Amino acid sequence: MTARAAAADGRPTAAVASPYLGYRVALWVYAAVFYLILYGPLVMIAVLSFNDSEISGFPFRGFSLRWYGTVFTSPQLIASLGNSFAVGALAALAATSMALLLALGFRHAFRAKSLVLNLILIPIVIPGITGGIVLLLSFGYLGVRPSLWTTVLIGHINWVLPFAFLTLYPRLHGFDRTLEEAAMDLGARPWTIFTHIVFPLIRPGVVATLLFSFSLSFDEFIRTIFLTGFDRTIPVQFWTMLVNVVAPEITAMAVIIILIPAFTALVGFAYLRQARRGERSAAP
Amino acid sequence: MLRRIAGRAGAPAADGPAVKPIGRPYLLVAPAVAWLLVFSIAPLAFMVAISFWKSSIFGTKPDFQFGNYMRLFTDPLYGNMVLKTLRIAVTATVIALLISFPIAYFLSTRKGLWKGVFVLMLFLPFWTSYVVRTFVWIPILGRNGVINQTLHWLGLIDAPLDWLLYNEGVVYVGLIYVYTLYMTLPIYLSLEKIDPRLIEAALDLGARPFAVFFRILLPLCWPGVLAGSIMVFLLATSAYVTPQLLGGPSGIMLGNVIANQFLANNNWAMGATLSIVLITIAVVPLLIVGRWIGMRQVFLGGRE
Repeated sequence: MTARAAAADGRPTAAVASPYLGYRVALWVYAAVFYLILYGPLVMIAVLSFNDSEISGFPFRGFSLRWYGTVFTSPQLIASLGNSFAVGALAALAATSMALLLALGFRHAFRAKSLVLNLILIPIVIPGITGGIVLLLSFGYLGVRPSLWTTVLIGHINWVLPFAFLTLYPRLHGFDRTLEEAAMDLGARPWTIFTHIVFPLIRPGVVATLLFSFSLSFDEFIRTIFLTGFDRTIPVQFWTMLVNVVAPEITAMAVIIILIPAFTALVGFAYLRQARRGERSAAP
Repeated sequence: MLRRIAGRAGAPAADGPAVKPIGRPYLLVAPAVAWLLVFSIAPLAFMVAISFWKSSIFGTKPDFQFGNYMRLFTDPLYGNMVLKTLRIAVTATVIALLISFPIAYFLSTRKGLWKGVFVLMLFLPFWTSYVVRTFVWIPILGRNGVINQTLHWLGLIDAPLDWLLYNEGVVYVGLIYVYTLYMTLPIYLSLEKIDPRLIEAALDLGARPFAVFFRILLPLCWPGVLAGSIMVFLLATSAYVTPQLLGGPSGIMLGNVIANQFLANNNWAMGATLSIVLITIAVVPLLIVGRWIGMRQVFLGGRE
């Protein structure tokens, strides 16, 4: 395998590499074990979610979709799923909009740039648990009751904003500005340049950022648990069930919680690839 | 004034384009900066203030006293918890590093389609809930879990093993399972930048793999190792979910003690104080390393 790859490369590595065949085999075995441990437990949960048994766990007593039925007929679980979608969509929209403006600003050289960058990174750098607690303290003192549309949404936007910026910034940083300059030379106004040239060029990157942001918000737990009121997001609902009574539909919930953000992120990756390809083909 | 700074700073850079990018920089960054000042910085400052306040059964009252900070030293519970959390976080970081290096090297030496598949499979768990990925260990290690049932089926045990869950050891399993990827990725990215011909040349000249590792790979991917270690240390010191779910009474960490001040004891002042301790121990290493290898290197992968 290795020799074949090297030969296809046309580079004389095969002769050198062969004495280390043992290392290479060991590396492959190691990688196999690594990915098995990484994905094995997730696959196991997926299998258990189809288990036709009142007690969550093995032995497997037959294939059944009943636990998914339980999840999708429980008003409480449907509501928390809806809450997560709504908060995720709003947080993604708000964070991506601010991140887009930030990234546009970062194309300029300005004095406070590194200060602003450090400010943006603070929500990533601060431990998650304190990210929730600082808001709990402030809003608690001000008498703002914790709810989905105040405390939770604000906490999520805080959390998502740095990632949105870190995804968008490279899209705007590395992009070919020739078209933009031509339009400027021809007298186009900044807003026109943005809507007609800059935005269409970075659109895949913006879509990817929206999707990643949604995914991050959907998965958020540690800040939300301190900020949530009566309306729970799905990870908080999952946690509450886990801590109180472990119901048999917990594995089906786990699968749903894994699949939605993972799928969203996967689509995000596809857009990011498209964005990168666009940048490469536009480069002189 | 604003305009003058922007105008001057916006002058063409040596290699940059002659035409200024659209918009005014300070106006463009204003919404995000205002947002973060109001909802991130101000609440943080407020928490610092509360750490000097006093909590009692009558609630938390404004004050300026060092009682909460004194308790860190007089009450052994808190001091020991900080030390234990540091010990767990450092150990988890070292183990994550040892696990990550070979797999990062594996990824960096793949080519073509398989490389894409393996890298994507490493990225994907980032986008799945860590609460769920922590939970998965309960049906594996629990009383009726996979391991106990397998051992029973093999006839190796008569009664289920209880010590598989709810102790400090399982906390390591959970932390490493969830956070190793934060180590693997930066190491992989820095290994990617190394010219493979360097390794070929070393091998051609008769270097043993160990020499290649210690004298070429490690020195060149040092920034990735540091960035990953800092991230894992930060995440592990602030763990809450893993110890709460898997650790049991003997596995709790600082994050759980902090949460209890709010969720159970209603001692907001002590909670704020402990939060500041947590931020300090999590962020100080980041600042030191950030200064050393450049904060931008950590977060932007040296794009600027």
